[in-house]
Amino acid sequence: MKLPGVVRLLVRNFESNLDLITLIVMFGQPAFLIVVLGTMFSQIVSGVGGTGSYTQFLVPGMVASQMITGAVLAGRIFWLDRRWSMVEQLFSGPFRRAEYLAALLLTTLTFALVGVGLMVLVALPLIGLPPLSPLELVSILGTIGIGSVFFGGLLIAIGARIRSANLYFTIQSLLQYFLVFISTVYYPVTSGTPVSLRAIVYANPLTYAANTVRDAFLGRGFGPGDAEAAVILGALALVTFTLAVLSFRKLEFGPIQ
Amino acid sequence: MPRREATDVFSSDVIARADGLGFAYRPGEFAVRHLDLELHRGEVFGLLGRNGAGKTTTVRLLTTLLPPTEGRGELFGKDLRLCGRAERARIGVVLQSESLDFVSVERNLTLYAFLWGVPREVAKSRAEEMLELFELESNRKRKPWALSGGERRRFQVARELMHDMDLLFLDEPTVGLDALTRKRILGYLGRRARAGLSIVFTTHILHEADELCDRIGILRGGRLRAIGAPADLKREFRGARFVEAELDRPVTEAEDRDLDALLARRGPSYVEVARGPARIEFQAPDAEGLVAELAGWASARGIRLVRISVREPTLEEAFVDLVSEGASELEAAEETP
Repeated sequence: MKLPGVVRLLVRNFESNLDLITLIVMFGQPAFLIVVLGTMFSQIVSGVGGTGSYTQFLVPGMVASQMITGAVLAGRIFWLDRRWSMVEQLFSGPFRRAEYLAALLLTTLTFALVGVGLMVLVALPLIGLPPLSPLELVSILGTIGIGSVFFGGLLIAIGARIRSANLYFTIQSLLQYFLVFISTVYYPVTSGTPVSLRAIVYANPLTYAANTVRDAFLGRGFGPGDAEAAVILGALALVTFTLAVLSFRKLEFGPIQ
Repeated sequence: MPRREATDVFSSDVIARADGLGFAYRPGEFAVRHLDLELHRGEVFGLLGRNGAGKTTTVRLLTTLLPPTEGRGELFGKDLRLCGRAERARIGVVLQSESLDFVSVERNLTLYAFLWGVPREVAKSRAEEMLELFELESNRKRKPWALSGGERRRFQVARELMHDMDLLFLDEPTVGLDALTRKRILGYLGRRARAGLSIVFTTHILHEADELCDRIGILRGGRLRAIGAPADLKREFRGARFVEAELDRPVTEAEDRDLDALLARRGPSYVEVARGPARIEFQAPDAEGLVAELAGWASARGIRLVRISVREPTLEEAFVDLVSEGASELEAAEETP
C-alpha cells in the first residue's frame, strides 16, 4: 500500500539533510541551559514569576522555545533542499507543493514535540513531573502546534526568498536569538520592565506561547489570558502560513549559493 | 516486478504538446517564446541550443515546474496549468543541477523509490540493477557529494530510473561523463526508448543527439528555430554535402583563376570551405555534378585528382550554421513587424 505523499515526504525529512551532531546540538543546548542556567540562577534568585525556583520558571520557557528549534530544523531542511535542487526535483514529482509545505510544517511540529519531551525528561530530576490536567496538556500541545506553524511558516517564507546560504543562516540565527531573548522564556515581564521593551516582548509570539505553557506547568489552568494568547498566536500563524504558501507559488528554481 | 513501459498506457500518440508556449521570468523578458511542439509516444526528442537558449526553461515548462506565461501546453492530454500529481507521477526528470539527499548513494536510490511509492522489494532489486548498470557498486555506501563529477551525474540518472514512467526528461545528462560511460548510458536509454519510453533530451554534445534522437529541435534565443529528424535537419540546413579534392600537383596562377571562374558559375549555393595549392574543400548541393566538372577541369590541364571524398554534413555543422549567421538573418526577418 502506498503511503500518502505527506507521510512519504515526512519520512524523507527525518532521514535526509539532518545529521546526529546537528540534532544533539539543537536539543542539547536548551537541555544544557535547563541544567546549568536553572541550577545556577536558582541559587541567586527565587520566586521568579510566582514560581518556587528559577528552574521551575525556566523549564516551561524552554519547552515553548522548542517550536523554534523545530522550525530551525525544518528551515534548514528546506534550505538544503533548495541548495541541492531537491525542491525542484520533488516538485516535478508526484507531490503537490502543499504536501511538501505540510510535510515541512509537520517536521517542525514533530521536532518541537520531541524537544518538549526531551526538556521535560531533562527537567524531571530538577523539578519533577508537572501535574498537568487534560486541559493543560491540550493547551500545551495546541500552543506548540500553532507555534510550530507560525515559526515554521516564517522560516520557510524567508528561506524561499533568499538565495544566499550565508544570509539565510545569519537571519535565522538573529531571529532565533531575538525571539528567545526578547520574550518571557528566560525572565518574566514585571512592573519594572521598561515600557518599550515590554511592547517588543508582547509583540513576540513566543511570549504568548511561553506564558501559556508556564501557566499549564504551574497548574494555573487555561485562563482568559491563555485563550487570548492562543487567538493571537493562531492569527499570526495564519499570516506566516499564508506567506509560506505564497512564497511557494513564486519559488524560483535554479542554483543558489 | 517488470518495469511498466509506456506502450499500453496511452490512447493518443501525442504525449506532450506546446502551442505557442512561452515563459517570461520578468515582464517582457522571455526565456522561451512561441514554442510549438508535439512529443510522441516512444520518441526520443533532442533539444539543442547554446547556453541560455531556453532548453532548461522548456523542460521546466513541460514538467509543470514553471507555469506558462503565454500560449498553452499539454502533458498526457491535460493542460499544463492544470496538471497535478497524477501527470507528474508519469514523468521522470533528471535536472541539469545536481539534486541529492544527504544519505548514502544506495539509500538515495531506495529513498527516492520510496518517495515515488515503489514497493520496497522492487526498489531494492532496482537499486542493485542501477548500481551495476551505472558502475556505482563500489560507491554504494558513500555520500553522493563525495563522488566525482561524472559519478554524481551517473548517480542522478540512475536515481531517476528507480521509478516507472512514461516520459523521461533529461537535462544535459551526460555532462562530465567519459566517452565509455556516455555510450553505456545512451545505449541503455536507447533500449528503454525502444521498449516504449518517451525521452526528451537536452544536450550540447551533438553527435549524441544525432545517435539517440528520433527528432531534434534547435532552440535559439528562446525560440524553436528548426525541428525534424537529424538527417532532415542536416539536409535542410546547408543541405549541401562536403567535398574534399586533392590534386597531384599545386595549381598555377592561371589554373587557379580558371578554377575560380568555374566555381563562380555555381552561384551562392557553392561554399568554399578551404583551398590550398593542391587541395580544395567545398560544400555544394549538387556535389556529384561539381565533382564531375572539377574532374573535367583537372583532366583538361593534365592534373590528376588523387583523392576525392564526399560526405554528408554533420549535425554539428547544421547546428552551428543554424545558430550562427544564418539564424541571425532568420531572426531579423521574423522580428520585422
